[in-house]
Amino acid sequence: MKDISLVRILPQEPRVPFINMRMIAAALSVLGIIASIFLFTTKGLNYGIDFTGGTVIEINTKGDPDDAAIRAALLDMGFEGATVQGIQPPVGAVDQDGVPITHRLMRIGLQLQDETGEAGQGAQQEALNQVVAGLQERIGAFYVRNTEVVGSQVSGELRRKGILSVALALIMVLGYIWLRFEWQFGLGAVMALAHDVILTIGVFSLTQIEFNLTIIAAILTIVGYSLNDTVIVYDRIRENLRKFKKKPLPEVLNIAINDTLSRTILTSLTTLLALVALYVLGGSALKGFSFAMIWGVFVGTYSSIFVASPLLLALRLKRGVNTGGERKD
Amino acid sequence: MLFFSRSKIFMILGFVFLGLLLAVPNGLNESTRDKMPGAFQRTINLGLDLQGGAHMLLEVDLSSILSQALINERTAINDSFRRADERPRTEFVRADGDDSILVRLRSKEDADKALPLIQELSQPVDPTQINSAKTTRVERESDRNIRVTITKAQIDFIREQTIDKSIGVLGRRIDPNGNLELTLAPEGSERILLQVPGAVNTQEIKKKINESANLSFHLVNEKDSTNDQAMMVAMETGRVAAGDKYFPFSEANGRGGGLIVNERTRITGDCLKNSSGGPHPENNGAVVNFEFNVACAREFGQMTARNINKRFAVILDGNIITAPNIRSAITGGRGYIEGGFTMESARDLSLLLNAGALPAKLTIVEERTVDPSLGADSIRAGRIASMIGLLGVAIFMWMGYGIRFGTIANMALATNIILIAAALSLFGSTLTLPGIAGIILTIGMAVDANVLIFERIREETYNGKTPINAIETGYKLSMAPILDANITTLIAAVTLYFVGSGPVRGFAVTLAIGIVMSVFTAVVFARLLTSTWLRGKRPKTLPI
Repeated sequence: MKDISLVRILPQEPRVPFINMRMIAAALSVLGIIASIFLFTTKGLNYGIDFTGGTVIEINTKGDPDDAAIRAALLDMGFEGATVQGIQPPVGAVDQDGVPITHRLMRIGLQLQDETGEAGQGAQQEALNQVVAGLQERIGAFYVRNTEVVGSQVSGELRRKGILSVALALIMVLGYIWLRFEWQFGLGAVMALAHDVILTIGVFSLTQIEFNLTIIAAILTIVGYSLNDTVIVYDRIRENLRKFKKKPLPEVLNIAINDTLSRTILTSLTTLLALVALYVLGGSALKGFSFAMIWGVFVGTYSSIFVASPLLLALRLKRGVNTGGERKD
Repeated sequence: MLFFSRSKIFMILGFVFLGLLLAVPNGLNESTRDKMPGAFQRTINLGLDLQGGAHMLLEVDLSSILSQALINERTAINDSFRRADERPRTEFVRADGDDSILVRLRSKEDADKALPLIQELSQPVDPTQINSAKTTRVERESDRNIRVTITKAQIDFIREQTIDKSIGVLGRRIDPNGNLELTLAPEGSERILLQVPGAVNTQEIKKKINESANLSFHLVNEKDSTNDQAMMVAMETGRVAAGDKYFPFSEANGRGGGLIVNERTRITGDCLKNSSGGPHPENNGAVVNFEFNVACAREFGQMTARNINKRFAVILDGNIITAPNIRSAITGGRGYIEGGFTMESARDLSLLLNAGALPAKLTIVEERTVDPSLGADSIRAGRIASMIGLLGVAIFMWMGYGIRFGTIANMALATNIILIAAALSLFGSTLTLPGIAGIILTIGMAVDANVLIFERIREETYNGKTPINAIETGYKLSMAPILDANITTLIAAVTLYFVGSGPVRGFAVTLAIGIVMSVFTAVVFARLLTSTWLRGKRPKTLPI
C-alpha cells in the first residue's frame, strides 16, 4: 500500500532539547505574565454587558447605516456613553424577508441605567423602548434583529459565577491529577493552566476584544485543552521514569516531550483547522470565542512543553513509589 | 485488546446503528418524520439564539412577600386574642424589623396568657413531614414583650409557593391556548426563566408580566367618603381611620378623586370561578361578567344583604374601577363590573382575571431577544464552518496516517458526529450557538485519541514489533493517557455546566457529550475496525 504520510516529515525520534531551553522559556513566560497583569490593571478588559449590565440592540437599516447620524441621534436623546459599531453580517446572512444583507449591521450599546428607587426597576426596558422608538423617528425605519438587556444584579452575579467557575475547574483538576500522579504533577499542571488563563486575559486586555460569558466558556475550554496536552506529556514522563531508571531526570523529561511531540503538533493542527473555519465563517457572535480558542491552542501547546514539564524539575520531582514503581491501573 | 467476542461486536455495532437511527430524523422533513415510530421522531432542540424568540429572567419581589407574610401573621395574632376566653390586653402588635412582629402587652399576666395563644399559631411548615420546621419562632423577650419571627423555612416555603403560582399564572396569561411551547421554570431561588420561541415583539409579553391583576371587592366607608374634610386629609396624607384605606378611581372610570373603603375583605380575585367580557346590558359600552365560587357567593350575598343602599368598590391593582350602589342582596354569585370598558379592554381584563393574580411583583432583570432571521444565519454559518472543519480534519488524517488508518480515524470521526447528534436528539438537550462551537471544537479534538493511538503504534512498529503486537501494545499503552486527558476535560465541562448559565450551558452539554462519544469511537469503535482489518488481511508490515 502506498504511503503518503505527511507526518513522516517529522523525524520518528526527534530529539529537540526542549528542557535545555527552559530558562529562555521561563523568562518569556514570566515576561508575558507580568505584561498581562500590567495590561489588566492599567487597561483593563472590555467587558460585555453580561458583566457590566446594560443594553445591546442590533439593527438592520435600509442600506448601509450612517454611523454619525445614529451617534448624533443617540446623543440627542440623551444617551451619553452609548456605543455605535458597524458589523459585517455573517456569510450568507438574509434579512427577515429572506433578502441577502449586503451592508453592515449596526450594533448599539447603552450603558447601564440607574436602577435605584421605585422608578429604576424598569429602567433598562424603558431605555430600550426609547431608543428603538426615538431612532426610528430620527433615522427612518429599521428592523431590530437582536436585543439584550442585562440588569445590574444579574451582571454582578454573572461576574461572580464566571470567576467562580474558572477557579472551581482549576481546583477540581488539581484534585484529579493529584489523585492520579504525584503532587508535583498536580501543582505543575495547575500552574501551567494559571499561566494560560493569565496570558489569555492579557491578550483580551491588549486587543480590547469584548470579554463576555462566551469568553469565560472559551477560557474553561482552553483549560480543558491545555490540560489534555499536559496530561499526555505527564503520562509519558511517568512511563519513562519507569523505563529509564538510570538516566538523569532532565533527559527523561526531554525524551517524554519528544515522544509525544508529533501527537501534540497533529492534534493542535486539526483543532486549529476547525477553529479557523469557525473564526472566518462563524459571524460576529462567535468571533471572540474562536479567537480566544485559537490563542488558547497556541498557549496551551506551548505551556505543556515549556512550562508544565520544566516545572516538575523546579518542584523537585523525586522518583518515588508512584512514579517509579508499578502502575496502579 | 484486539479480540472482540461476537456478542461484543453486536453490541458495538448495535449501539452505532441505534445512534444512526436516532440521528437520521434531523435530516428528514417534517411529514416524513411523522411517519417514524415515537422515539425516532425526536430532533435536536434549537435554542432561542438559533430559532429566534424572547428570553427573560424575572425576579420575584421577595420583600413584598415578606411584608405580606407579616401582615397575615399580625392578623392571625389579633384574631386569636379576640377569640380567646380570657382576652389578653395588648399595648400594640406591630411589625418590627424585616421579619418579626413585636407584641407588647399591658402586664406580665397578660403576656402569660398571650404566650400559649401565640405559640399555638406556630404550625409545621409542611404538615406532611414529621420533623418539619415551624412557621414562626416565638420568644419571650421580657415580662411584657413577645417577639414572633418568621422562620427561614417558612419564608422559603412561601417563596417556593409564590414562584409556583407565578409560573402558573404567567403560563395562562401569555399562552392561554397552550400552543406557544413556552419555557417557564424556576431559576435559582428567586427567579423565573421565561422563554417564548419565535416571539419578536416583547411589548405584549411585558405588559402581561407587569399587570398584577389583583382584584378585590370592598365596602365603602360612606361616612368618611362623603365627608369633605376626611377626604381631603385622606387624599393629601393618606391618613384614614383604622382599618380603612383610601383608593383613587381608575383613569378609565373617568371620575376624579377616590373613596375611603374598608380594608378588610374576603372577596378577592381568588373567588372568581369564571369571567368574560360582554356588551353592557343597558348602554353600548362593555362590561366584565363574573361568577364567584360557592363560598364567596355566599359571603358576597351576606355582605350585600347587610349593606343595602351603600356602595361597594371594585378595586383592581390599587385603583377603583367601579363603585356601584347595592340595591338588593346579590345572592347568585353572578354579576358584572362596569367601568368605562371597551369590548377589547373588557375581554383583556377577563382573560387576566381568569389567569389569576400574580402573588408578587415581577421585575425583568434580563432580557434577550433574537430575530428568527439572525438565528437562521447562525445555523447556516455553523453548518458551513463544521463542514469545512470536518473536511479539513479528514484530509489531514489521510495525509498523516495514510489511506488505511486515515480512513479508520475518519470513520470514527463521522460516527462521533452522528452519535453526538443522536445523543442531543434523544436527551432533548438544547443546541445553542456556543453549542455549535462546542461541536466544531469536538471535531478538531475528537481525532486526538486516534492520533495518540496511531503515534503509539507507529512507535512500537519502529521499535521492531510485529503488526499485531504493535497494534496491541499501541492500544494498551494509550488507554491511560486517553482516559486521564478526557476525564480532566470532562471535569472542566461539568464545572461549566453547573456554574454557567443559558447558552454557556448548551456549550458545556455538547462538549461533554462530544468528549464521551469521542472516547467511545476512538478506543472501541476504531479498535473494532482495526481488529477486523487485521484479521482479514494479516499484513506483514503496517501502512502507518
